[in-house]
Amino acid sequence: MIKKNYIIPRSISGILVFLFLCILVFLIVYPLFWILISSFKDYQGIYQDVWGLPDAWHFENYLRAWDRGISQYFVNSVIVTIATLIGVVFVASAASFGIVQIRGRLGNIIFLITMCCMLLSPQVCVLPLFMLLRAFGLNDSYFAMIFPYIAFRLPISIMLIRSFFVGISKELEEAAIIDGASLWKIFTKIYVPLSKPIISTVVIMTVYYAWNEFMFATILVDSSSLRTIPVGLMVFRDGLMTEWGVVMAGMVISCIPLITIYLIMSKSFIRGLTAGSVKG
Amino acid sequence: MLNRKRNFSAFLFCVPALVILAVFVYLPLIENIIFSFQSFTLSSRTRTFVGLANYKNLFTDPIIAQSLINNVLYAVISIVMQVGFGLVLAAVLEDIVFRKTESFFRTIFFIPTLLSMTVVCLLFEFVYNPQMGLLNSFLELIGLEEAAQIWLGNSDLAMMCVIMVSQWQSYGYITMLFIVAIQKIPSDLYEAAIVDGAGKIRRFISITCPMVRQMFFVTMVTTVVGAFTVFNEPYILTGGGPGTATMVLSLHMYQTGFVKNQMGYASTIAMLIFIITAALSSIQFFSFGKEKEGDR
Amino acid sequence: MKKLLLIALAVLFAVTPLLANGSSEGPAEGQTEIFFFHRWPNDPKNSMFNELLEQYMAENPDVHITMDCILNDQYKERIRMVVSSDDVPDVFSSWSGTFAQEMIASGNVLALNDIYEADPEWSSKIAKASVDGFTFDGVIYGIPWSQDGKVFFYNKAVFNELGLEEPETWTEFIALLDTLKANGYEVPLAEGLVDQWAVLHYLGTILQRMIDPEVLASDYDPATGEFTDPMYVTALEKWQQLTTYMGEIATAIDHETARNTMFATGESPIMYLQFAEIPQLEQVLPEGFEYGFFNFPAFEEGLGDPNALTGAPEGFMISNKAENIDACVDFLKWLVSPERGAILTSDCGDISSVDGALSGDTALPEQAEALQLIQEASFLAPWLDNACDPAVYVVFGQGGQAIASGDATPESVMVQVQEAAASIR
Repeated sequence: MIKKNYIIPRSISGILVFLFLCILVFLIVYPLFWILISSFKDYQGIYQDVWGLPDAWHFENYLRAWDRGISQYFVNSVIVTIATLIGVVFVASAASFGIVQIRGRLGNIIFLITMCCMLLSPQVCVLPLFMLLRAFGLNDSYFAMIFPYIAFRLPISIMLIRSFFVGISKELEEAAIIDGASLWKIFTKIYVPLSKPIISTVVIMTVYYAWNEFMFATILVDSSSLRTIPVGLMVFRDGLMTEWGVVMAGMVISCIPLITIYLIMSKSFIRGLTAGSVKG
Repeated sequence: MLNRKRNFSAFLFCVPALVILAVFVYLPLIENIIFSFQSFTLSSRTRTFVGLANYKNLFTDPIIAQSLINNVLYAVISIVMQVGFGLVLAAVLEDIVFRKTESFFRTIFFIPTLLSMTVVCLLFEFVYNPQMGLLNSFLELIGLEEAAQIWLGNSDLAMMCVIMVSQWQSYGYITMLFIVAIQKIPSDLYEAAIVDGAGKIRRFISITCPMVRQMFFVTMVTTVVGAFTVFNEPYILTGGGPGTATMVLSLHMYQTGFVKNQMGYASTIAMLIFIITAALSSIQFFSFGKEKEGDR
Repeated sequence: MKKLLLIALAVLFAVTPLLANGSSEGPAEGQTEIFFFHRWPNDPKNSMFNELLEQYMAENPDVHITMDCILNDQYKERIRMVVSSDDVPDVFSSWSGTFAQEMIASGNVLALNDIYEADPEWSSKIAKASVDGFTFDGVIYGIPWSQDGKVFFYNKAVFNELGLEEPETWTEFIALLDTLKANGYEVPLAEGLVDQWAVLHYLGTILQRMIDPEVLASDYDPATGEFTDPMYVTALEKWQQLTTYMGEIATAIDHETARNTMFATGESPIMYLQFAEIPQLEQVLPEGFEYGFFNFPAFEEGLGDPNALTGAPEGFMISNKAENIDACVDFLKWLVSPERGAILTSDCGDISSVDGALSGDTALPEQAEALQLIQEASFLAPWLDNACDPAVYVVFGQGGQAIASGDATPESVMVQVQEAAASIR
């Protein structure tokens, strides 16, 4: 039963599988490596020598990308992501708390109302949302992204947080009630502090979503000064057709935040992103 | 009385969520249903009621048929490549042989999931570029110049090329989901099977597969729903072209609404997407509910 | 958790002022504000507008102009969405023809006849043909600022070497393309068909040359469009024939790539280009590359005027909801003037619609020749995507692409066009 564990397996089938896995790794890593390398090249360098290392390292591509608009898109993405995050965490945890606390059928009905939203894909709502936001005069603001983002992240977040709240032991709560604590106190002093693991999961899911969301950001926002990175990159590409190196520098910059978080805390990151699906 | 008051203040906690969902999810849905019976443009101030005319259009519009075919193709390939292949890959990685390297592979396979779709699509524009693209350059490098293609410009290949982009990005994610599920399988099941002399493939079929069936189901529905709502990849890579070869439902909806300026009909296409995806998701929704009750 | 939220909030507040700086400073107290929306986020135009606005605001410290811009197709979508709303920009760019009509139909565009009449010294300098593109039923709704035309650019060295002449008829043109092919130019005609507008530019000209003008006018009008004339199929067959000279690659690359990597490198000796592309072309051309132009050749069986030139003027409109109409007019008069026209031509290569802007020292000889071609044209035909309803031209664009990739026939495309036209009639 006890076998020695080698990095490379010793059986022929094992070696074949290992080679196959290495090819998969190559297929993922090489294109990313290529972007990184090419982001230091100029147009001629990319066009004429697709594979090679740059002759001269054009670090200024990054500066140019930053100056040519990525800085603005980056800031927009940060604002939208953080605002969405705050909204989702507050609203979802409050709602989950309410659902858990309400006695009787009402709690279940509210839960069902939120869960039904998960049946709805955002694509279905985008046209009326556009008209709606225009009617509210919100179409040209950060809110045009923030509100729909919060709305479409709420169901899954409520589902996760609620199932965690249900499992919190009632003893502390009962003690607090005897002390005459209000619901708000119970929520902020007992439930929220105890729920750090699940809230951090929700945080990661929301950041991931808000940072990368494309369709709403493309359709619901007018001004180029409000664009987030995923949409901005498209504008960026159109505007800098021939300066591929700069475009790729912009691509690299846009990936840095999530990749960094991932590398620092890959365990909880993976947990965060898989949690939604496991339960839903 | 006290209970009632308490219930009311607990209800207050739910109000923000209910308001946001009502305004930004339910209201648009209802509006969309109304729009789908109307005819209007983006700039028009009035909307005319046209009854079922838009719905009749759905059946005669050749682009709808083309889009449905593409969406179905998307779904089928995603099931095979992500769910099928992802499950096998997860089982392989969880095999004891790869204990030392598993976390390395896992970490790498997961990276594409983190990239935004725009970055992935722009990357693949360079991969598929017919003049200097990585794919054609690579074929040239290994002496297969004849196999070089114009990829996204060839209407027979374009859809496959677009689909492959999603596979590249997503199979690592699905694999990760299966790894999580496999890790939950009690190890004594496997040990018992080894004692019985079951081989690896045997163990995969008779233990792993049945034990992850719930996850299998979940990933299946998510990939299929994803395939029927796909928008970013064709929008960025081909804009639906050449011709309408890579048109999918969401993109057709977008073009009809915002380019052709027929908002009513676009809403009807949205209804079609809604019916398909809601039906698929509710299968998962209700069967999950049952499964969970069964656990208790 | 609380800490995390506090940090998040802190970051949000720290970033907000940064943003206010990033998106250009807002107007100061007491300043008149103009919101200016255009479709040129690309350099050199973007930089030019930035510099011009700075200059204008320095000269007129009581005016503050806020500018925003997005590219082409997206611009079309956006301006359509906002023009009928209360958010209509004070000053915005517009194409002439039906696009202008669509803008005007919103009821939010200011009629400018009084302004033209009040200042004849300024208005007399603006090319009449361009103003016509913005005049509907005698009412002028726009101030044209650039003129453009689409013609075949050719590589003079190749033509000289093979002893080729500029073709005047379709038969001559096809013979010319065949000769080039026989002489080793595998793709004699460069084009990138990923861009739908590139397809539409071709089709617009072909239809204009081919179809009876009266039939065409009635078909382009959404209220009466039928597209049942059998000549349409013939016209698309010409397009089909033309695409065989563009190579397989055409459906996989965009227009700019074709220009930079095929025409400019000498690989393809002919390309259908706009005069407005001259500066971008100059940037990538190797030393000593000489090019000439010829108008789209005449079809022997064509019923349209073969001396027309496709290429509509572009200009600016003012919203009648603008708070300070006088300030907007003043700004546009300043912008559309010989001085700024000269900057437009020298910096960006567009042919200004102001007389005298193209003086010899600021313009390239090719640009002077281009202006001459524009002036010689019997009339300026609008781009297809300015001429008819989007529901129709999208079908033409997709169909044109599909014909090029061999997935559709002229007949099948026309059936779809007829259906699209019927659906909006």
